[in-house]
Amino acid sequence: MRRLAYGLIGVVVLAAAGFMIFRALSDSLVYFVLPNEYARDPGEYADRRLRLGGIVEEGSVAFDSDRLQLTFLVTDSIESFEVQHRGSPPDLFKENGGVVVEGRFKGGIFVSDNVLVKHSEVYQAPEPGEPIDVEALKNSLQ
Amino acid sequence: MNRAKRPLWLSGLGLATLLLFGTGAVLALTVSPPDVNQGELIRIMYAHVSVAWVCFLAVGISALFGGLYLWRGRAGHDAWAVASAEGALLFAALTIVGGMTYSKPTLGVYWTWDAKLTLTALLLALLVGYFIVRALIDDRERQGRVSAVIMLVVLASLPFNYLAAEWFRTLHPAKSINLDGSGVTMEPAFVRILLFNTAVAVLAFSYFLLERVRLGRLESARQDEAEREGPAGEAVHV
Repeated sequence: MRRLAYGLIGVVVLAAAGFMIFRALSDSLVYFVLPNEYARDPGEYADRRLRLGGIVEEGSVAFDSDRLQLTFLVTDSIESFEVQHRGSPPDLFKENGGVVVEGRFKGGIFVSDNVLVKHSEVYQAPEPGEPIDVEALKNSLQ
Repeated sequence: MNRAKRPLWLSGLGLATLLLFGTGAVLALTVSPPDVNQGELIRIMYAHVSVAWVCFLAVGISALFGGLYLWRGRAGHDAWAVASAEGALLFAALTIVGGMTYSKPTLGVYWTWDAKLTLTALLLALLVGYFIVRALIDDRERQGRVSAVIMLVVLASLPFNYLAAEWFRTLHPAKSINLDGSGVTMEPAFVRILLFNTAVAVLAFSYFLLERVRLGRLESARQDEAEREGPAGEAVHV
């Protein structure tokens, strides 16, 4: 009888722990939203903090070092959105590189307070003039 | 008295590990080329990845001996399971510390709750729980059985952790060395040094493991002696 009671308590505790882990994970499962996912249903993300992930579009980066204002386009090659960030770009931030920005949309522009770099799983020693593998970077975001 | 002395070969293993550790550090810090994207920061990778792999190995060994203990009930298997669990806890903590060190300058944050990092935090929490539960149980047989079950749960979480960056969107980069034959996206110059450092981490873990098993045996021999002598000396738990 005592064993049964302990067993039942154990099952309840495990179930509660499992539920909490599931809740935490399902939040983590969609770590960032792609621009085309946002474009499909902007209402779902209205007035909500979110992470937007994608590739920094080539030629779109502008940094005003006096005002510490960084602007660029984040794209998934279907949709792209303008990102405004107050602060300097991280070291590994670059055009055609993966990026995840934290913040919220304000009138079609993503106002970010944190720029994170998502780099690919490709590691290579530099060779002069070698281009970066854009396809591999894009694949790493799918 | 003599049994308590560390055997010479074990001291030799420790010394050899220390020397090879120095070699691995030199390879990582000076011989390795920089990475085209990360530059010199790639050198942290050698410490982070090797330690993470050994953490998985340690959980596997602890779960194996835990399983054997559940099956056969031999105290010796439990001693191996605990020793390996201590190694797993140490290497899990090192994985997280090294990962945070690596993550801040490359990805831009020390910590974020993506699937890979969340599962690793869970792994560390379960390993801490393993030792809390052991400390709460006095009966040595139950101690062994309950903690073995916890370690089997930890083992079951490892495939999700290992493949987290493949299955879910994460900030943590995906695997570069794919064991299913779909290729290696890390240059051989990096892979060689990573494998060397992994071998050194395995040696260090083996040394800790063997030394801890030796101490565990001495410990349980003493407990047996104390129990045989009866309630004369120490207080008896009811």
